[in-house]
Amino acid sequence: MFGAERTRTLLGPADPARNAAVGPPLVSARELIDRADATETVAGRRRVRPTRRLVLTAGTLAVAAGAVAVLQPFGGPAPDAPGGPGTPAGLVLVPVAYQFDADPPAAGPQLRMLADKIKDAAYDHQSGRYMYHHTKVWGDPVMTSADGRHHVAFAGASKVWQAADGTGSQINTQLEPQYPDQASRDYWQRNLDSRPAVEGTPAPAMIPLPPEELRPPSAVPAELRELLKVEYGAGAASKEVSTLYGRYVVPRATRAAVLRVLADVPGFRWRGQVTDRAGRNGVAVTFDDREHDQQSLLVFDPRTGELLAHELLTLSPVRISSYQVILDTAWTDRVG
Amino acid sequence: MGVRVGPPKKRDEGWFTSLYAAEYEHMVRYGLRRLADRDASAELAQEVFVVAWRRRAEVPERSLPWLYGVARRLLANQWRSRRAAPDLLSITDVDLERLAGSSGADTSVGVADIRTALANLNDLDQEILRLVGWEELTVSEAARVLGCTGPTAAVRLHRARRRLAEAMSDRPAQTRRSPVLMTIREDL
Repeated sequence: MFGAERTRTLLGPADPARNAAVGPPLVSARELIDRADATETVAGRRRVRPTRRLVLTAGTLAVAAGAVAVLQPFGGPAPDAPGGPGTPAGLVLVPVAYQFDADPPAAGPQLRMLADKIKDAAYDHQSGRYMYHHTKVWGDPVMTSADGRHHVAFAGASKVWQAADGTGSQINTQLEPQYPDQASRDYWQRNLDSRPAVEGTPAPAMIPLPPEELRPPSAVPAELRELLKVEYGAGAASKEVSTLYGRYVVPRATRAAVLRVLADVPGFRWRGQVTDRAGRNGVAVTFDDREHDQQSLLVFDPRTGELLAHELLTLSPVRISSYQVILDTAWTDRVG
Repeated sequence: MGVRVGPPKKRDEGWFTSLYAAEYEHMVRYGLRRLADRDASAELAQEVFVVAWRRRAEVPERSLPWLYGVARRLLANQWRSRRAAPDLLSITDVDLERLAGSSGADTSVGVADIRTALANLNDLDQEILRLVGWEELTVSEAARVLGCTGPTAAVRLHRARRRLAEAMSDRPAQTRRSPVLMTIREDL
């Protein structure tokens, strides 16, 4: 009827999924029900559409601890694989997938709820002379081609041990190059004559840190608002939150206060559950700065309220500008 | 694929689990035909069933066309939301050999010609041909997925087949590189 059979006869052999083996579901029906119910009850009676972006398309999302989530080109090496002769020069970054991608609700109520329920982090039960931070950053600086269209930056890891007087040590390690888009990767693969020094990177040196006055962050809202520069808006506050968590071991009461302060800053939208570039579950808020074509993304640990990651993206086109992933935070007496 | 009779079953977790078990593979295959990646196809299938649970009261007894319709809209929403760095690929970009394996049939010249010709059609033509030819829906079921009437779908299928035949006889035609599922419901 209406040529349906003839259509099947003609097209059937060309069906790309005809011989493809489909494995069993990785997620149970019960888990999907939980996911559906969770997204439906967010933001009170608001009905939220499930528009998680399918960032896994055409690539592999690395979820190993310490690895970044990347779009892995076909035939390329595993993400964050050690460099070596013949290794394709780097990875293409894709945006973090948001649970609420379109029409996200205001973040204030969710941030307050999170502030009310957060638990102790592991470091809340630690002590030591040094604050320890292990972070991974990308996007500062970015190298751009002469025509301004193609970008590359090297990811970098940093381990910092810093005492209350500012002294301590730091180790920086340059990692692989990463690109905000495939065109940039293609361009720099063709034009980067001297392969970046991923291979044979010398052992990172321990850098001594000079004394400086470090004032532990206050949990008093008025002081925190000043520290986080909220008067300059959500973009500035996002950056300051990132700086705060990258420098201090933030106690639980202050973490809750930070969330409450952010809840009162206009412009933050709730993005729901996300997976950060280290493969950790988080909850996210964003602020779109249309005037500067920039989006700020903050990813928090849903259990402890710690900041896991901070990212900047351009809005048009949507592209990663920079990211910081806080991989570990602790109190310790030992350096190295 | 048979028509179920009797009163609608209770839309509880047991019903959903059965639906999931019965149709998951169809949803993954739907994704495989339109995306370039198994993981993305599996994730799409999961999202379809999340929607199915949330709207379980609306799921008809003959659920497959309804589920395909959800998948189609999810992909369309997905595409619109991407705005840049498209990760939904046109069928011409899909690594068909990787998906289809290396059977003689799938690597024959005829199959390659069909795929090339299909890729030269507009997205709506491609979609109705895929729904009927690959998802093996009837014309009226495809109409439900596309949100149009049965007669309209029949006419579209007829025209799509004609254009496919023309494309197959037009060897030098340049392969289109437009993204799949650009057509939104309002355009249908």
